[in-house]
Amino acid sequence: MANRTDPAAKSIRGTNPQNLVEKIVRSKIYQNTYWKEQCFGLTAETLVDKAMELDHIGGTYGGNRKPTPFMCLVMKMLQIQPEKDIVVEFIKNDDYKYVRVLGAFYLRLTGIDSDIYRYLEPLYNDYRKVRRKSPDGNFMLTHVDEVIDELLTRDYSCDIALPRIKKRWTLESLGVLDARKSVLEDDFEEEEEKDEMEQDGLEEEVAHEKQDYYRARSPARERERDWRRDSHRHRDRDYDRDRDYDRERGRGRDRERDRDRDRDRDRDRYRLREEKEYGYERERDREREGRERDRRDRERGRRRSRSRSRSRERKRHGRSSMSPRRHEAEDGNAPEESKKKGKKEKKEKKDDGTDHPDPEIAEANRIRASLGLKPLKL
Amino acid sequence: MIEVVLNDRLGKKVRVKCNDDDTIGDLKKMVAAQTGTRADKIRIQKWYTVYKDHITLKDYEIHDGMGLELYYN
Repeated sequence: MANRTDPAAKSIRGTNPQNLVEKIVRSKIYQNTYWKEQCFGLTAETLVDKAMELDHIGGTYGGNRKPTPFMCLVMKMLQIQPEKDIVVEFIKNDDYKYVRVLGAFYLRLTGIDSDIYRYLEPLYNDYRKVRRKSPDGNFMLTHVDEVIDELLTRDYSCDIALPRIKKRWTLESLGVLDARKSVLEDDFEEEEEKDEMEQDGLEEEVAHEKQDYYRARSPARERERDWRRDSHRHRDRDYDRDRDYDRERGRGRDRERDRDRDRDRDRDRYRLREEKEYGYERERDREREGRERDRRDRERGRRRSRSRSRSRERKRHGRSSMSPRRHEAEDGNAPEESKKKGKKEKKEKKDDGTDHPDPEIAEANRIRASLGLKPLKL
Repeated sequence: MIEVVLNDRLGKKVRVKCNDDDTIGDLKKMVAAQTGTRADKIRIQKWYTVYKDHITLKDYEIHDGMGLELYYN
């Protein structure tokens, strides 16, 4: 049968190599005309000819998720399992960039971690343009090194889930790989030497700093990038969500929020110390007042306007039930901080309904906030 | 706020709370967050009408409590 794996083929990651592609996509490939006509009875040599005819990469596209010829050829390679030397030849060849990308993709799916890094990282220097078919059927422009970056850093590409590989710094610490040396390092050093010769003293220091910064960056950059990737990965459920959220919101926004939170925390600490001197009674009274006002407001129904009146600040603080000490501190600070712009941002976040009394609605609003959607209109 | 029920007839039945001015794409993201599949793998249908990503629920006249079919790409 045309769809059976070569019986002499090894199992990849404990399963039939064709199972690396998930069931629905696999069935789509088997039903595809290109697969039935062109990929029947291909061997390693004839596969090279077909690969040379490729002119775009991509996953499934269109309304009924048609697979691209690139995917069919990847499937064929998984089926016949060519030798590692053949795959390396695919990658090393310079003339046909799509053959190169095909080889790189196959190696990423089936190779061992050290091989993947060893053979794919030199491809970062390939800047040629590559045509990519997007899921809606149009073509997009990308480059070979962008594709390689996606293979090495993401876990999903061209509608195929890429297997997990060890982080680079893990392999470095095991001694299997050397620290990453960028090809651009020599260019940077040349530039800095030129700068040194032209300018004096102060500039020299700056150039040295830049050099050190760049040197420190090269081996650590992978580590940092991997750490960032890793820290996301461990939050399994939130991984995709966080990734999209970060991309949409931009990291600048997070940094701003963190800075404001730090500022607020310091202010809280200072206020607490002050209030301790005056005694707790004043806070308790203020708290009680705030709670009564909450009850009144809650009866009137929730309003979501963004004005910064004191009562709304108090109500918001009263609603969010936290530890009593923090509650008191925020209550006391409400009028002062309503003037600060940073606090306003934080208030709006709370206003996203994530502190709604109904836990289901609060949970739904939390998910919506992480996806970048507006909160529920009640 | 409306609540939509999505059923894939294979054991996955999710109830999603959303606004009526959300698009189908947003609804797919919510479903993906609840079920764990990827949003681009989900297809929402009603009999043979495949719902498109850029149209809002209000325009499709999807009301509270309505059941939709969940398929996968």
